[in-house]
Amino acid sequence: MNQLTRRGLLGLAGTAGIAGLSACAGTGTSGSSDKAGGASNTIEFWSNHPGSSKPVEQQIIAAFQKENPGLTVKLVDAGKNYEEVAQKFNASLAGGQLPDVVVVSDVTWFNFALNKQLSKLDDLLGTAKVDTGDYVDALYNDYTYAGGHFALPYARSTPLFYYNKELWAKAGLEDRGPKDWAEFKEWSTALKAAVGSGKFAMELADGSNYLDWYFQNLAWDFGGAYSKEWQPTFSDPNTIKAGQFLQDLTKAGVIKYNATPEADFSAGLAGCILQSTGSLGGITKDAKFEFGTAFLPGTDNCPTGGAGVGVPANISDARKANAVKFAEFLTNPQNTVTFTQATGYMPVRKSAVELPEEKTFLEKNPNSKTAIDQLAHTRSQDNARVLLPGGGARIGKALDQIAQGQDVATVFKALDAESQQVFESQIKPKL
Amino acid sequence: MSTTATPVGSVDEAPEPSRRRGRRRLAHGAEAASHRSPAMTVAGYVGMLLVVLVVAVPLFWIVVTSLKHRQDIYVQPAQWLPDPATTNNYHDVTTRIPFLRYLRNSVIITVVLSLTKIVLGVLSAYALSLLRFPGRGVVFVVVIAALMVPNQITVISNYALVAQLGWRNTFQGIIIPLAGVAFGTFLMRNQFLSLPTEIIEAARLDGAGPLKLLWRVVLPMSWPTLVAFSLITVVNEWNEYLWPFLMSDDERTAPLPVGLTLLQNNDGVTNWGPVMAGTVLAMLPVLVLFLVLQRQMIKGLTAGAVKS
Repeated sequence: MNQLTRRGLLGLAGTAGIAGLSACAGTGTSGSSDKAGGASNTIEFWSNHPGSSKPVEQQIIAAFQKENPGLTVKLVDAGKNYEEVAQKFNASLAGGQLPDVVVVSDVTWFNFALNKQLSKLDDLLGTAKVDTGDYVDALYNDYTYAGGHFALPYARSTPLFYYNKELWAKAGLEDRGPKDWAEFKEWSTALKAAVGSGKFAMELADGSNYLDWYFQNLAWDFGGAYSKEWQPTFSDPNTIKAGQFLQDLTKAGVIKYNATPEADFSAGLAGCILQSTGSLGGITKDAKFEFGTAFLPGTDNCPTGGAGVGVPANISDARKANAVKFAEFLTNPQNTVTFTQATGYMPVRKSAVELPEEKTFLEKNPNSKTAIDQLAHTRSQDNARVLLPGGGARIGKALDQIAQGQDVATVFKALDAESQQVFESQIKPKL
Repeated sequence: MSTTATPVGSVDEAPEPSRRRGRRRLAHGAEAASHRSPAMTVAGYVGMLLVVLVVAVPLFWIVVTSLKHRQDIYVQPAQWLPDPATTNNYHDVTTRIPFLRYLRNSVIITVVLSLTKIVLGVLSAYALSLLRFPGRGVVFVVVIAALMVPNQITVISNYALVAQLGWRNTFQGIIIPLAGVAFGTFLMRNQFLSLPTEIIEAARLDGAGPLKLLWRVVLPMSWPTLVAFSLITVVNEWNEYLWPFLMSDDERTAPLPVGLTLLQNNDGVTNWGPVMAGTVLAMLPVLVLFLVLQRQMIKGLTAGAVKS
């Protein structure tokens, strides 16, 4: 056989490869009847520790176990970002041994809910007598689908407007953020002159780094949107106006795009940025100058973001009950305060801001207070970004094209068609 | 960390653009070099210099960043030397995450996996090249086929299987599914086939049994290939991410590449100092091993070159 010709060898190998593949793919379908896996008094919590929060999570778990001596919580390192947690959760869905509580982000939860892999929490929360009215409405309602909620808000963030106070003074501007984008445009000439060459008045994350998240604010400010329910509205004249606005400012050299604008901002290279509240802690440590935070430009049009915790669908009822108990504990007023003070995320409970330790914290940290005050002015994100598979990446790519100078109407029209097609083929049949 | 797998050449052949060295080279390889114009020679050196820079600058940057204070990492103009230098980042790595436990896990996984793979690879290649038995060709083709299935495809079904065995978050769960070794079999088999048949036959005539033949005759002649294979295996296992990440739940079994991600901030500003310090520490063991084995590899290569 050593004299096999090359072609013969490749052919044989290919055939054997296919045979091997089909053999492998068959494994692991058994045992789906009892996906329970873990013991019912152990709660497995799969988390990516948003905002380097592992120690805080451990602290909250210790408090939970003290209050519920019969239950043990096992904290599992489930990945370095939300996508990896989703990947690991996906693997476990194929092969059993599901977690009890899992972190799901604003873009990953829906696909699991759609495929009936996450539990609808409303009844479980009712049985556990949880007062869901205390969750911040915009945050809680982000997880609504088919008349129910599929996650509880946990590590939630919004974008903030960060600005360099020294530059603002130099440009002769009032010490505040712009009221709306029109005002920012008026300011931009003065800012551009004040910031000097080689630096930029504003930096935004590029399309691969969630520009699509921040741009929602712009689109809304101009009266546009990504979608209305499931109907994509990129070619709405107002959305196009917003795209044109972004392109004009880019051409004028006011805005620059970058993978990590927060780094440039901290180094004094960018006058202002739109960035997640989660970056507040890091920027506070890195920046060598005085900076301020403000609401995003416009009224009541700040998108929410971040992650919640869900409970898998295919676990026993006893496990579900325990899981909800823990998920509630994790996000109760006391713990949401502990968690958010350590990380920079937002408290997810209305009553949290009334707690004395939160009041003192906010007095000492006015920049954190901006984020919390803004919470009342948030708006749930458009379906085309968070619920359509690949939505964020698709919009980000289109925005990159617009920033590079392609015709806005054409790009958005294509995006409309593409989003519609994804909806028709992947979502509609399952609704 | 994948940079540790750079070819041997990049270290030895660091360009030394002095004229004398150039002339000596010329004398050595007179046949090839005599036709080359000076311009080409210069271009060659510039090319080599570029390659070295491409490899070395990121490495240098990792080391330098690991010694910087946090405020000095993101600055313009870039700081090429840490000023002032600090070892705090290294302290951070060892205190913020259980670094030693991750290191221990990495060592266990890498050592066991590499040994298994090397032994399996050598034995199966030996059987497939020098022993005669029916179905030998078929077995070889099946092994090669395994090489052609990317492991991302088998991950989900492997996960299902291993999870049902209750092996999640255990060392056997991480090690056993990774221990199959098509590449080694392929590489070593071709090496064994390239050995002169006269020597093998002579050994057989002298009464060497299969194992003695392998141990005393075949392996000593295949040393360089074996070292290269071992090195590739060790580096691969050391850097393995996807499977250990899926299998492990915490620091009881997770190896370094998984552990180091805990230093990165998911959503917000990462403090890169400790991440770089962790990277340097994770790189060191493999680097040392590489330097040690590299000498072996060259020894083997030159020893073979003069003989026939």
